[in-house]
Amino acid sequence: MNAATLILWVIALILAGFAWKKSSAALQRGLKLTWSTFRRNAAVLVIAFLIVGYVAVLSPTELVRHWIGPASGMRGILVAELVGMLLPGGPYVVFPLIAVLYESGASIAAVITLVTSWSTTALLTLSFELPFMGARFTLIRWGLGLTIPLLAGTAALLLL
Amino acid sequence: MIKEYRIQIILGLVVLLLAAAAYQQGGAEMALQGLTAGVRLLIRELPLLTAAFLTAGLLQVLISRELVTKWLGQEAGLKGILLACLGGGLIPGGPYAYYPIAGALMKSGAGLGVLIAFVTAKNLWSVTRLPLEIAILGFRVTFQRILITLLIPPLIGILAENLFGGQIETIREQADS
Repeated sequence: MNAATLILWVIALILAGFAWKKSSAALQRGLKLTWSTFRRNAAVLVIAFLIVGYVAVLSPTELVRHWIGPASGMRGILVAELVGMLLPGGPYVVFPLIAVLYESGASIAAVITLVTSWSTTALLTLSFELPFMGARFTLIRWGLGLTIPLLAGTAALLLL
Repeated sequence: MIKEYRIQIILGLVVLLLAAAAYQQGGAEMALQGLTAGVRLLIRELPLLTAAFLTAGLLQVLISRELVTKWLGQEAGLKGILLACLGGGLIPGGPYAYYPIAGALMKSGAGLGVLIAFVTAKNLWSVTRLPLEIAILGFRVTFQRILITLLIPPLIGILAENLFGGQIETIREQADS
C-alpha cells in the first residue's frame, strides 16, 4: 500500500466519522451511495483498466511522443484538447488512462491539457448539459469553454 | 439501452482495437499479456479506488445539495460568482448530479455568470476528485494543473456575465420549454 492510498483511507475514515457524528442513518446513506456508485462504475472500471493494460504492454512510446510529447509544442496541445474531449467516463476511468499516456511519453503540458479538456468539455457530458440547461446556455458555455484547455496548455508550455 | 451502455460500448471497442493491435504486434501471447497487465493493475489500484469511492459517497451525504442550491440561487454579481465557484468546487458527483443542480439554480433565478462559474469550478476545482487525481497522476502534476487553472472559473464567470449576461431570460425560457 503506498502513501496516496493510505492518505485517502484516512480521509475516508475521517469523513465516515463526521457522517456518523451527524447520525448513523447518514453514515448508512453514505455507504449505500458508495456502493451504488461502485456498482454503476464497476464494468467501466474493468474495461478501462484493460485499456490501460494494453497501452502499457503495447508501449506506444514513439506514437505518444510524436503527438503529445515534449517536442510537440502547440500542435500537441491541440491534439491533447481533442483527445481530452473524447475521453469517456469519470475520473476513475480517465485518470489511469492519462497516467499511462504520461508514462508513455506525453509532456506535462499535454497531460494538463488532457485533464482540463476532459473536465470542461467532454463530449459525453452534452447529454446532461443540453436537457438541463438548454441549447443556448450550452452553446455559450462551450464557446467559452473550448478556449480553457488551450489557455491552460499554452500556460503550461510557457511556464513549466 | 444503447444509450445507457454507451460508455461501456465505446470503451469495449477500444479494448478490442488495442487487443487486435497487440495480436498483430506480438501474437496471442501479447494479446493475453495486455489482458493480464490490465487485471493486475486494477487489483493493485483497488484499495485506492475503494477509498476514493468511499470519500465521494460520504461527501455526498455531508454536503447537501439543497443547501448549496439555496445558498447560490439568490446571490448575484461578483459575490455570486465567487460563491458559485466555491459551491461548484465543493459539490460532489458527476454531470448526472451537477447539471440538475445547475438547472435548479437557473430556475431559482441565478444569473449566467453564476451558472457558468458554478459548472466551470465544478470541472476545475472539484475537491472530491482531488485525492484520486493526486493518487493516480501524482502530487506534482496535480499541483501544477491546479495552479494553472486556478483563476479560470471566476474569470470565465465574469466574462460570460459581461458578454452574454443579458440573454439569461431567453436561456431560462428555452430550458423550461
